[in-house]
Amino acid sequence: MKFFHLILRSLLRSRRRTILTALFMAVSVFLVALLQSLLVTLNALSTSSSAAGASRFVVQDKASFTNVLPQSYANFLRAQPEIENLCGMQWFGGEYKDPKNFFANFAVDPEAYHVIFREECNLDAIPPEQVRDWIRDGNGCVVGQALADKFGWKLGDVVPLKSPIFNLTLRLNIRVIFKGMRKSDEMMLAFHLKQLQEGVPWMKGRVGMFTVRARSAEDIPRLCERIDRNFANSSPETLSLTENAFNLNMMKMLGDYAAMVHSVTIAVVLALVLVAANTMAMAIRERTAQISVMRAIGFTGGRVLSLLMAEGLLLSLVGSSLGIAAAVLAAKGAAMVAGELLPWLADFYITTETLLLCVLGTVVLGLLSTFVPAYRASRRPITEGLRAL
Amino acid sequence: MEADAFNGPAGLALPGQQAGVEGGTSRAQRAGGPPLQDVAAIIRLQGLAKSYWRGSLEIPVLTGIDLDIPRGGYYALMGPSGSGKTTLLNLIAGIDRPTGGGLEVCGHTLNRLDDDELAGWRAQHVGFIFQNYNLIPVLNAYENVELPLLLSTLSRAQRRERVLEALHLVSLEDRMFNYPRQLSGGQEQRVAIARAIVHDPDLIVADEPTGALDAKNAEEVLILMEHLNQELGKTIVLVTHDPKSALHARVQIHLEKGVLDHTVEVHDRPRLAPILEPPPR
Repeated sequence: MKFFHLILRSLLRSRRRTILTALFMAVSVFLVALLQSLLVTLNALSTSSSAAGASRFVVQDKASFTNVLPQSYANFLRAQPEIENLCGMQWFGGEYKDPKNFFANFAVDPEAYHVIFREECNLDAIPPEQVRDWIRDGNGCVVGQALADKFGWKLGDVVPLKSPIFNLTLRLNIRVIFKGMRKSDEMMLAFHLKQLQEGVPWMKGRVGMFTVRARSAEDIPRLCERIDRNFANSSPETLSLTENAFNLNMMKMLGDYAAMVHSVTIAVVLALVLVAANTMAMAIRERTAQISVMRAIGFTGGRVLSLLMAEGLLLSLVGSSLGIAAAVLAAKGAAMVAGELLPWLADFYITTETLLLCVLGTVVLGLLSTFVPAYRASRRPITEGLRAL
Repeated sequence: MEADAFNGPAGLALPGQQAGVEGGTSRAQRAGGPPLQDVAAIIRLQGLAKSYWRGSLEIPVLTGIDLDIPRGGYYALMGPSGSGKTTLLNLIAGIDRPTGGGLEVCGHTLNRLDDDELAGWRAQHVGFIFQNYNLIPVLNAYENVELPLLLSTLSRAQRRERVLEALHLVSLEDRMFNYPRQLSGGQEQRVAIARAIVHDPDLIVADEPTGALDAKNAEEVLILMEHLNQELGKTIVLVTHDPKSALHARVQIHLEKGVLDHTVEVHDRPRLAPILEPPPR
């Protein structure tokens, strides 16, 4: 502890350089923490391990999930004894008042919807009369609590929704406001499929996909294989895949995000190593004579090495702490602001593992980048160092 | 090894105080000045040699140096550039290693100590004064002087007492919170002298301590060093090529091309009135 002021003063010898290096480290940690947490969030989304998610699968057009399927395909699906229920769905892409007011909205089979997604939407907790109203009212819709809060909606309100995809405007009555398992589950709206099919002639008898609930998750691979075999050589053919695989495909529309995140992380880490190594090398090299004087008056090479390493450690800790603090704040901000735009961001946060990884990584990098110049300085002959005056 | 060096009860060997130096000469002896050959040698060099290698080419810097320096001696190493005087000082101070011969300083055969032991030995026995002062720029005068004591197990209060004594001896206690950039060259060198004596070393080595100072400040520093020798009994080895500076020493050692050429004893060295008083308690 008696050396702490020496370490601190030496570190602040060139304040501007030290502050800039700490800020660079902070920005690096900030970026890595956000990107890695984003990756964790996306992966969690695509590999949901909830029991409900595990027992569901999706049947879509084999060529693209943007194509539609005949609603009559449901007859074959319902005939399978392993299937508990299924829900025809279509992405509506409706806008509320302004294109900026983006949220997920689907046309669904109302009777099946609350069975298929009963856990996520916690529909069992909704008063039965509300569920009855929503099923009976052809203009009815269900909305998540978070979405309702965002726009100040309440039961009985009318929500105008305009879809540029279908060139259709609907006026929907809010019949149910549900509280979901996650905030991201609450950022959506569902209305009667019939509304879409009646408003868009070419959608009559068609759905975008079927979300199917199997009686047992173990049956899903066999069911998928059977369904796709049945519709092979039909037009259109089907592609059946687990909900997780479907989510993963959606995520892949963003590109190979994992590779992108890892590439940026590696680039940031490399830059961090170079900057930290260069800074510490400069900071140590310009103190060659000072270090030699300290060794002359009795500081051992090991003690000098420890003091210099402590400088690197302190700088790394300060930099990473700043970066992590900024990343945690930014993640909260992103969840609050961007979460309204991108529902999956509503659950975005910096994971503990990422925090530890960033702190540990920065400390290791700081120590590594300090070690080489510090070791050389601690081993340099004293007389040679004194001549460096 | 290095940490236990300063835990003796004695502080700086101030006049009228118990001397902290083992076998240190009394003030009366120093004032009277016994013949140097009668005092036990603190530095003993026998056939000392130092060479540097440039590839396979050996460049001898010092050859066959035989020299005894008594405890309490004040020796000036003189000679032209390249004569090996700084190399000899570095060997005596234990910051360089000889390539041949025997080197015994303060009772230790330095050749036998490893690097860490040598560092501990320096921390205990040697005070350094450099031409360019070599204060740590980010530490103030107090902290610079305290630096050698950080290697000890002295408490903060004990360190403070020692530092204040040392700064008092160089008359800079009122500048203790000044940083080196806020001090004149002469003041910086006096802080460096305080740093060199704060841990009560047996030996002070000074490499051209007045080389960067104007005449007035140089004279003040030389007189201060003379007081350290006469009143505190510190053995001083000074490297200089300035004959005037060398006149402050009791013996001048002249080197020529790495060989001890001749020795001159300074007989008309004036006695100084004591000035190093302990600080008020």
